[in-house]
Amino acid sequence: MAEIALKAGGITKYFHDPVTFPVLKNIDLEVSRGEFVSIVGKSGCGKSTLLYILSTMDTDYEGKLEINGVNVTGKSLNELAFIRNSSIGFVFQFHYLLPDFSCLKNVMIPGLRLGRLSYKEVEQKAYEKLKMFGVEDLALKSANKLSGGQQQRVAIARSLINDPAIIMGDEPTGNLDSKNTGIVFDLFQRLTKEYHQTIIAVTHDEDFAQKSDRIIEMADGEVVK
Amino acid sequence: MKISVNTEIAFTYLASRKKQTIVASLGVMFGISMFIFMQSLMKGTNDYFEKASFSSTAHIRLYSENKVADTHMLTSFLQDSSVKILTNPKQLKQTLGLNNPYGIINNIKKNKQVVAVTPQVSAQVMYSSGSVTLNGNVAGVSIDEEDKMFDVQTNMVAGNLHDLNRVNNGLLIGKGIADKLSLHVGDNITVRAVTGNPVVMRVVGIYATTIKQIDETRSYANIVQAQNLLGKDRSYVTDIKINLADYNNAPKVARDLEIITGYKAEDWVQSNEQLKAAFKIRAIILNSVIGVILLVAGFGIYNILNMTIYEKIKEIAILKATGFSGPAVISIFLQQAVYIGLIGAVVGIIFGFSITFMVSRIYIGAGTLKYLPMSFYVPHYVEAVIFGVITTIAAGYFPARKASKVDPVTIIRG
Ligand SMILES: Nc1ncnc2c1ncn2[C@@H]1O[C@H](COP(=O)(O)OP(=O)(O)OP(=O)(O)O)[C@@H](O)[C@H]1O
Ligand SMILES: [Mg+2]
Repeated sequence: MAEIALKAGGITKYFHDPVTFPVLKNIDLEVSRGEFVSIVGKSGCGKSTLLYILSTMDTDYEGKLEINGVNVTGKSLNELAFIRNSSIGFVFQFHYLLPDFSCLKNVMIPGLRLGRLSYKEVEQKAYEKLKMFGVEDLALKSANKLSGGQQQRVAIARSLINDPAIIMGDEPTGNLDSKNTGIVFDLFQRLTKEYHQTIIAVTHDEDFAQKSDRIIEMADGEVVK
Repeated sequence: MKISVNTEIAFTYLASRKKQTIVASLGVMFGISMFIFMQSLMKGTNDYFEKASFSSTAHIRLYSENKVADTHMLTSFLQDSSVKILTNPKQLKQTLGLNNPYGIINNIKKNKQVVAVTPQVSAQVMYSSGSVTLNGNVAGVSIDEEDKMFDVQTNMVAGNLHDLNRVNNGLLIGKGIADKLSLHVGDNITVRAVTGNPVVMRVVGIYATTIKQIDETRSYANIVQAQNLLGKDRSYVTDIKINLADYNNAPKVARDLEIITGYKAEDWVQSNEQLKAAFKIRAIILNSVIGVILLVAGFGIYNILNMTIYEKIKEIAILKATGFSGPAVISIFLQQAVYIGLIGAVVGIIFGFSITFMVSRIYIGAGTLKYLPMSFYVPHYVEAVIFGVITTIAAGYFPARKASKVDPVTIIRG
């Protein structure tokens, strides 16, 4: 049996604004190591909300969450920060980069934070990641001078800097043309096959979803398929 | 050198908001330079006045005080326990001299705190030269010891003070006396004590202190000369002047000496009460001004960091999402405060020194005070930096903590 990368049991979350209503209803989920999973569903069905919980950023939920076989529910914020830094790469739906820094620095910062490699090594590695997405020419450009698609590719490069066990993307290809979507998809696939990294990606791209290993379909805060 | 990510981010944020960084640093700089300037001015003035007072006053002066008659003679005569009441008591007639002064001096020297003891014969005199006469007093001293205690040498304007030991009938006169009687070194002067005969003395030197009243009345003579002037013997001493290692102990030592010797021991605090009061008032004014300045500088930093955090809230959320913990975020923002503080401190020290230096060159010319007395005292600079950095850290801590509490999900969800 394949190793479990992420296991969620009975995840339930409520929003209280304007009235208390359940956004996520008793979600059970298991993702194996090296699996490429797409999450699809109508806008507003709770995909982003679920992803924030799975990524340990949101701690306000009921249920249990295990990452790499370790229970993370109820851990302190500082412990969770370390887990995110070392084992989870995240690509956001809207806000991407730190505008005061160059693209290269943006990619490097989580690596420097982790501190496992020297500055030079992190720099080298960041440069390679940028190259994989064809944005190495922009390395020294300030992040706020990039187009949306360029920003998104730099953001994906950043999520990979610490070789995380799990990469989560909230519509990681939402701003990309079909060619670049293809590049990102192929790369994600290679990461799962060759490096046994796990990908969980929310997507509205039918094609993208179809090509992944497994599709999880959500509706109204529930996993329907 | 390995710079941590937190430091690098802190620097980038400071550099990307140059104007605010400079304004905040200027606030700190202003606070620190004012701190240094005011402290220097206060210490300078205090030192000046203290030195001025010690240039004529010993830390402790022991003398025989006129007493009012009391009942102790009656008690020892009657040898009973009845209550005696003296109606209309009178001042006792007493000689001004001390009994067994050299015994007392030897006794005083046993006190560990005492560094210098010297006897003095004070005599009320009339100076005359030609047809002009002038009231004043002669201090009969050992000039070497007097010089050690009061640094007479620095006050010398003409002649040599050691000639007092060499020249028979030598007299060291104040500049005011010299001017009024138009005397020069080598001239003769007639001195007459109230109880003695006129004596012709020779001016061997002229001195000028900061106190005009002293320069116009006091002259120094050898102690033996003063005794001769008064027609007294060699054991006649009116005052014993005492200096201590630490003049702040003077009041306590003075009380001890009074008990041991039975004479009045007046410490410098008693004779300079208004000076002490002035020191205190200046310290209060100074500390409130400095407090206000540092408070304003602190608010500047607080404000600017708060603004930064509002502006950068999304970026803080991203940092936290990519694994920056609360303490890491605090470190990023606290470091910004500390660097603002350090920049302000360095510039503030330079600026504070410069204005202190420039002001010390302002000519005042009031009496003997030529320039504003400013002190250049290293601890002021150290204190300024410590206060400055403490203020910035205190002002930076609250915004930094607020930043560390940012919930990434709330912000990123938009
Ligand atoms: N802070 C909030 N307070 C109250 N309700 C919220 C809040 N954030 C989101 N919601 C609601 O929760 C539901 C799920 O939102 P979520 O962002 O997870 O949707 P989504 O599936 O990611 O949609 P999309 O595909 O458009 O990104 C929506 O109905 C949304 O209106
Ligand atoms: Mg969404």
